[in-house]
Amino acid sequence: MGSLNEIVKQQQQALTKPEESVSEDIVQLVGFIVGEEEFAVPILSIQEIIKPIEWTRVPFTPDYVLGVFNLRGNVLPLIDLRIKFGVAANEIDENTRFIVMKIKGEDVAFIIDRLTSALRIKKKNILPPPDTYSNEDDIIEGVGRMDDGRIITILKVDNLIKREEIVPNGN
Amino acid sequence: MDEIQELLEDFLVEAFEMIEEMDQDLVELENSPDDLELLNKIFRVAHTIKGSGSFLNFDKLTRLTHHMEAVLDKARKGELTITPDIMDVILESVDAMKGILEYIRDNGDDSAPDIDIEPIVVKLDAIVNGKNTDQSSQNTADNVQTEKKEAKIVGNINLDEITLENADEIDLDSLEPEELDAVLEHLVQLRNQKKDSQEGKVNLNEITLENADEIDLDSLSPEEADAVLDHLVQLRNQENSKENQEKKEESKQSNSENANKPAESSNTNVAPAKKQNLSNEQKKKAVKKAISTAADQTIRVDVKRLDQLMNLIGELVLAKNRLIKIYNDVEERYEGEKFLEELNQVVSSISIVTTDLQIAVMKTRMLPIGKVFNKFPRLVRDLSRELGKKVKLIIEGEDTELDKSIIEEIGDPLVHMIRNSVDHGIEPPEERKAKGKPEEGTVWLRAYNEGNMIVIEIKDDGKGMDPEVLKRKAIEKGIITESEAANMSDKEAFMLIFKPGFSTAAKVTNVSGRGVGMDVVKTNIEKLNGIIEVDSIPGQGTTFKLKIPLTLAIIQALLVASQEDLFAVPLSNVIETVRIVEEDIYTIEGKSVLKLREEVLPLVNMADIFEIEKVLEPEKYLYVVILGLGATKIGLIVDRFIGQEEIVIKSLGEFLKGLPGIAGATIRGDGRVTLIVDVGSLMRLAKETHNKKIVTESLNEAKKKKEKPSDYTVMLVDDSAMDRKIMRNALEELGINLIEAKDGVEALQLLKNNEVDAMLIDIEMPRMDGYTLAQEIRKYNKYRKLPLIAVTSRTTKADRVRGVEVGMNEYITKPYTPEYLQNVVRRNLGL
Repeated sequence: MGSLNEIVKQQQQALTKPEESVSEDIVQLVGFIVGEEEFAVPILSIQEIIKPIEWTRVPFTPDYVLGVFNLRGNVLPLIDLRIKFGVAANEIDENTRFIVMKIKGEDVAFIIDRLTSALRIKKKNILPPPDTYSNEDDIIEGVGRMDDGRIITILKVDNLIKREEIVPNGN
Repeated sequence: MDEIQELLEDFLVEAFEMIEEMDQDLVELENSPDDLELLNKIFRVAHTIKGSGSFLNFDKLTRLTHHMEAVLDKARKGELTITPDIMDVILESVDAMKGILEYIRDNGDDSAPDIDIEPIVVKLDAIVNGKNTDQSSQNTADNVQTEKKEAKIVGNINLDEITLENADEIDLDSLEPEELDAVLEHLVQLRNQKKDSQEGKVNLNEITLENADEIDLDSLSPEEADAVLDHLVQLRNQENSKENQEKKEESKQSNSENANKPAESSNTNVAPAKKQNLSNEQKKKAVKKAISTAADQTIRVDVKRLDQLMNLIGELVLAKNRLIKIYNDVEERYEGEKFLEELNQVVSSISIVTTDLQIAVMKTRMLPIGKVFNKFPRLVRDLSRELGKKVKLIIEGEDTELDKSIIEEIGDPLVHMIRNSVDHGIEPPEERKAKGKPEEGTVWLRAYNEGNMIVIEIKDDGKGMDPEVLKRKAIEKGIITESEAANMSDKEAFMLIFKPGFSTAAKVTNVSGRGVGMDVVKTNIEKLNGIIEVDSIPGQGTTFKLKIPLTLAIIQALLVASQEDLFAVPLSNVIETVRIVEEDIYTIEGKSVLKLREEVLPLVNMADIFEIEKVLEPEKYLYVVILGLGATKIGLIVDRFIGQEEIVIKSLGEFLKGLPGIAGATIRGDGRVTLIVDVGSLMRLAKETHNKKIVTESLNEAKKKKEKPSDYTVMLVDDSAMDRKIMRNALEELGINLIEAKDGVEALQLLKNNEVDAMLIDIEMPRMDGYTLAQEIRKYNKYRKLPLIAVTSRTTKADRVRGVEVGMNEYITKPYTPEYLQNVVRRNLGL
């Protein structure tokens, strides 16, 4: 939890510090690993990051919907991004985290293998996803080129899950 | 302006309530036209709406109610008998009033372009004029009524339409001389009449602070208004002469202004409009002050606040459940300790208070079902007129209370069911006569409490339903097959009317084909966790029973386990639970059934419905929940009963709601989430599953064929490599598979990835000791029966007791002979 707290603290400081340090063309992201690849989501879409807790399976859902769990009295769906991205699911270990994000006004948790770091990236360094990426679901916002040369896939949080894919005949 | 808005909202709430009541009263009035008390009540309502309406400058509404009031006034003075035809007109005007009020609610003004009141006004006037011959009797009026009583038409002018209030509208220049004479004479007459009856018009003694806001100030003359206001002020015992003065002035002002009727005011309206608003505001203030000191015993609360309160209570119930669970754990561990007694008291008192609190909050959300029932007399009346039938509606138990949200949901289904009873149930009068029944049919609408449920009964003494006819129809329409029909009980046959696409009406009447089918009724009731029962005797009538839980948020549930997964089944749908053996299951035409006493029930494994992987070996006894929904019953095989619990229903959220068979989720005492079964939807799924899966086969899926010793695996858990070696040497002779773990953590990991049939566990181990390991293993349902054998050098009695407590099956002390170990393992594996 230590590293996580640090990240959050850093971000909070960054957010509360004088406005000029957060100039408009800088995007703040949280990076994480799923499978072999590093992804990132905008820090503002993240509600919280927690250690894995027990969940309950829910029938008639796609395999990437692991089930639901209780987060302080609220029932949240739990999505395994590894299965969603077609990566073999790893064992849950001490690095595994649940990232809770708000999607269309609803809290949804995603399992990720490991957090990397909080990132600040200039907007101009975010490129549209290359054609070679399979981006049928429109879940990739763009590709970020970091100063150290790393390439990070930035996800479109709102498109990560879709109700019609989960409950096809629901109303 | 905010205060005006507030006033407007109050007016609308009140007006809608009153009109609802009025509807009912009017229908009642039709049956007993001489009931003066009732007439007076109706009159007062019309009068109040008129008064408040004019107060707020709703001219159209005022005009309509004014004319309606005239009719009612005549009736209550015995000058007019309310015939069904007259009632039709009155009801029509009530509908128009409703329409205008709805328009006001949505748009803030009463222009309501879709509603043309003129034809109704003409009809109302015709009624007023049609019968009256006695003008002078009007003078005894105890309220303000300035309508002319006799059709007096001079030239193009109907004198009856001229009142003191609208006199300004008359374009005197355009009148012929004789018309002018007649008009003037008429006005003078009116003025005199009014003066004559001055004293009798307002009975000050009738005015109290409570009904002060019902007084129609506009209809009072300035003198009267003064008297009333003085009276109010006196009542208040708070002399404030300044205010009083204000009121007088305002009343006068508005009286004169209100004479500007819309017909002529299109150009004069602009100027006084502002003044009027101002005066209204002041007037409102004055009246409000007059009544505000009267202590009000009720307050209006925003429903959202109650919902929030209910949510908090829900959290509290969850916390209470959790506390009880913790107490039970503690009780086991510290049996006999003194502090338990005290803890017990605290836990019970918290749980009692929580329950009481829950009931109390629930009650604040409760409304009498009369709110819904009120509109049915009118509905039945209109329907019976439309269909040429004679129908009497008897309402009972309108005081029975229900949660507000349910009240809101239940209206439409009930409307449909009552329509159905009148339309399809009750026969035309001739037919009834021929059958020797009274010409007038009766529909009973009854509500009463039954345990945690409220029952709404809709009963008619009409032609009833013939199960055979229903079955035939259903077969014709392809809803059921011949063989299904043959196996159907009468009650099940009655339920056919709730199938989509089923309608017994030979012809689709205006009344029935309105787009809402009985299937929708059923779905709506099921959404409320309710059930419908139907009973019918051909020729004698039909009874529908809707059973609905008192509240939606918190329900009693039976918790069951299917394999590893827990589910909560609403207790209202659980008829009973039984324990059976596999031999009790019969397979008929490829479908599994359970013979229970005299009944044959379809039997389905819950794990098959929810496609749960089978990891548990079937045991000797099978546990079955008998679910009932309406007339349908089904047996559901589960693996374990956990118990009955009060659960708080939570939504699964936008992304997961609406999953088949699942109504929501609840959070249990241990913080885990348990899914709540949607019985209606589960029944449908169960039927599909029932048709394709034979239970006995499904039960055997989990049975692994294990014949020879090499089919078995035993795990050895010990931190000492030497000890593991000793165990291995002793057991290798048996020919079974052996796997090794060097501590509890590793053992758990291995257990997840391997099929293990028994475990030998050392107690003293690093990272996780044997006791903890056993405890962890027993948390999983699927390892409930896994033999755990402690192998240890700890030999005290306390150690052995601890071993039993954490779920060890056997306790072997080191050192042991190889033969002894072999025997123990063989016995535990059943070799």
